[in-house]
Amino acid sequence: MTTKLEFYDPSGVIEVKVPHAPRLASLEGKRIGFVSNEQWQAYRMLPMLKELLEKDFPGVQVLPIDAFPQGNGLIGNDETAKLVKKSGVDAVIVGNAA
Amino acid sequence: MKNAVSGVGLAPDAAMVTFPVNMFMPGSDISAVETRKREFYDGLIKWKSDFVQAGSAKMLSVEGASYEDALTKANNLLLTNLWGDGLPVWPGTKERVDWILQGSVLPRNHVLGKFPPRGGVTTVEICAIALAMAGGRPEYLPVLIAAVEACLVADGFDQLQATSGGPFPAVIVNGPIAKQIRLNSGFGLLGPDPQRPAGASIGRALRMLQQNVGGALPGVGTMAIFGAMRYTNAVFAEDEEGLPPGWQTHAQQRHGYTPGTNSVSVVFASGVTNVRRRGAKKESPEEDALNGMWRMADFMRAPNLAALAGWEKGTPGVMMIAPIVARRMAEIGWTQKSIRDFLWENSRIPMAHMKRAGAPAWIDIDHNPVTRESINLDPWPICQKPDNIVLVVAGGGHPTHSYWLQAHSPTVEGRVIRVPETFERLLTDADRDLGCGDDVCRI
Repeated sequence: MTTKLEFYDPSGVIEVKVPHAPRLASLEGKRIGFVSNEQWQAYRMLPMLKELLEKDFPGVQVLPIDAFPQGNGLIGNDETAKLVKKSGVDAVIVGNAA
Repeated sequence: MKNAVSGVGLAPDAAMVTFPVNMFMPGSDISAVETRKREFYDGLIKWKSDFVQAGSAKMLSVEGASYEDALTKANNLLLTNLWGDGLPVWPGTKERVDWILQGSVLPRNHVLGKFPPRGGVTTVEICAIALAMAGGRPEYLPVLIAAVEACLVADGFDQLQATSGGPFPAVIVNGPIAKQIRLNSGFGLLGPDPQRPAGASIGRALRMLQQNVGGALPGVGTMAIFGAMRYTNAVFAEDEEGLPPGWQTHAQQRHGYTPGTNSVSVVFASGVTNVRRRGAKKESPEEDALNGMWRMADFMRAPNLAALAGWEKGTPGVMMIAPIVARRMAEIGWTQKSIRDFLWENSRIPMAHMKRAGAPAWIDIDHNPVTRESINLDPWPICQKPDNIVLVVAGGGHPTHSYWLQAHSPTVEGRVIRVPETFERLLTDADRDLGCGDDVCRI
């Protein structure tokens, strides 16, 4: 004789309403932006990444790391999103989280 | 990061390149960015989400040789799924959750919002499940729901959940409901009390929601380095009967609620500090009050940079003074306003001290222009105006200490607590189950 105990999963559900952006076919000739929170050595890492992209993908255009508003309080707001969209970038890299 | 993107409606498995934390320290070796550059490139051109949309909340099941064995297995299952806090829980069975739901005026499927950063859909039912696990009762549910509502609308709540400073909700309850549900406003109100157990269960349930639904799992969804007060948060009542004549309740002062309104007020605190307020040796009542005020101000005069988030509209913290202290101070002319004014004026920090602590850099990168402007003030006030300081009369009937909950609180959110028509019956049931009433001490 066993005792069965049934109870709810306490984690609830997640609704996915927005698909992730489609990936690019390649990086050649593309325009890439950075959205930086200006923390966790982003000031060193993101420029390094910019140099690497420019070296490895001829014709790629990588915007400066300060092309868009920076800082945790600004990078997630609608105004920054509008600026990113308006800039015509094909992709953005967001950093740095820790 | 996964929680952050799921919280804005995306699948949680974002394209990420992760490194050990030592790479993010000043002066670190960041050459791994180059050696792993392909991962960045692949994130832009090859990555795709593997996330599968989940359905509605599901039931879990365990079997044991006895009820006790099954209960142990249920606790183990909850822990292995990262849904527990290490202390025993009551699994949220249908019977227990249905019982808890008697405390809600809202339907069980009513959606209160999404709990960040994970973005878990927060229903009344999921609150009842958390309260069941936390050892709660139906009459606690109205307070929990109001606290959850306040949290979900708080400015920057997603960041408060995730930040390394580890803020925790401090829920201040006003109104008759506090005594009715046995919520502590006196001795030991921030800790365990078998005669007034409501705060522990409500706060623990709120933490369960923060972790299980909101994804604030230590080191994963919350980077809280120390995580103090996070078993139960802080849920307590103001001692309204202890307020000196003419003093207003916190709920009235901060939120404009009329006395007698059941309400919560949520501050996000990041630390707790005991202040030995009472003097010694020969002193007059005036000296006792003034010396104590200076000691409180001295504790507040610190570059708590997390409080920048609430510099304009939030609070630098909650100063709790015991009712006997409030009454004695009122008798010699102190008012709520004069206490706040004194604390604000005398907790200002000389800019030279701010500079030696590197504090202006944090002010300079604050997102709020009003806060950034404050860099020109010398001495620098820890908040824009005295009214930002939360002053609460609470604690045991003893004059020796005050208590300072320093804050990381962009706002102080208030919510009215709604109780069902059957609330009186729930209170009667509580008397039956828990014995003595709120004013009866068995000791």
